[in-house]
Amino acid sequence: MEPDFKDILLFKTNIQTAEDKSLIAKVMEKHNVKQWTIDQQDVDCVLRIVSPALKLEEVIHLVSKNGYQCEELI
Amino acid sequence: MNIHLYLFLKLKSSMRARDLNKVELVKQKAMELLVKIGFEGFTMNKLAKECEISVATLYIYYKDKDDLILQIAKEEAERMSNIMLENFDPEVSFEIGLKQQWKNRAKCMLENKITSQFLEQLRTSTYQEEVYGTIVSNFKVTLGKFMHNAIKKGEINEMQLEVYWSIAFAPLYNLVRFHFDGRSIGGRPFVLTDKVLWDTFELVLKALKK
Repeated sequence: MEPDFKDILLFKTNIQTAEDKSLIAKVMEKHNVKQWTIDQQDVDCVLRIVSPALKLEEVIHLVSKNGYQCEELI
Repeated sequence: MNIHLYLFLKLKSSMRARDLNKVELVKQKAMELLVKIGFEGFTMNKLAKECEISVATLYIYYKDKDDLILQIAKEEAERMSNIMLENFDPEVSFEIGLKQQWKNRAKCMLENKITSQFLEQLRTSTYQEEVYGTIVSNFKVTLGKFMHNAIKKGEINEMQLEVYWSIAFAPLYNLVRFHFDGRSIGGRPFVLTDKVLWDTFELVLKALKK
C-alpha cells in the first residue's frame, strides 16, 4: 500500500557504499524501522523512511551518531 | 483484475488525485529527459530541475531512480497496450484483425511519440524484463491467440512467434521510426503518409497470407 505523504522522511546523507548500507541496516533494525531505502545511485545518497512515529531530528541524531552525515533533504 | 489489485489502484489514484498535474508533469519530463540523455546520465536532480520542483518532492513519489523508471514504464506500457487492444477481437479473420492492429499501433505510436521512444529504449535495457514480464501479459495472450487462430483456420502458415512478429509488425515500427527521425536510409527526408502505411500493410498481408 502506498504510504501517506506526511509519513515520508527524506535525508541527504553520505551513506555511499554497500558496507555503509549494511551498517545502517543494522541500526534501522535495532530501532524497529521497517520501511526505509537509500538511493545510492544519487549524489545525495537519499535516505527515505516511511514512518508515522519517527521525527526528523531523531533520524538525524541516529544516523549522525553512527558516523554519517545526515540532513533533511529540501 | 483481482480485488486486491483493484483496491490498490483505486487507493493509489485517490491518494494521488490532489497532485495529479504534478505527477503527470514529472512523468512527461522524466520520459523526455530519459530519451534525450539515456538511463546512465539521468539523475533525480536533473529531473527536479527540469520540472522546477524540489528533489525532495520527487522522493516523496519515488524511492529512487530505478523505482521512478519502473513505475513510469509500467504505467505507460499498460496504457499503450490498452490502446493497442482497442476494438480488437482475436476471433476475427486474419486480414481484418491485422488491419485493426496496424491502425491501433500506428495511432498509438504517432500520438505518443515520447512514450514510444521511451519504451523502445527500455526494450534494450536492464529494466526490460521487469516491465514486460508482468504488465503486458494480457496483451501477449490476446495477440498470441490471434496468431494461433489464424494458423488453425489455415489463413497463415505455422511459424515461430518471432518470425510472425518480424513480418507482421516490424515494417510498421520501422516506418514510424523513419517518420520520427524525419529521414530514412542515407538521410533521405521521410514522412509517413496514410498511403505509404496502407501500401506497406498490403505487402505484409501478401507475405503472410496463404
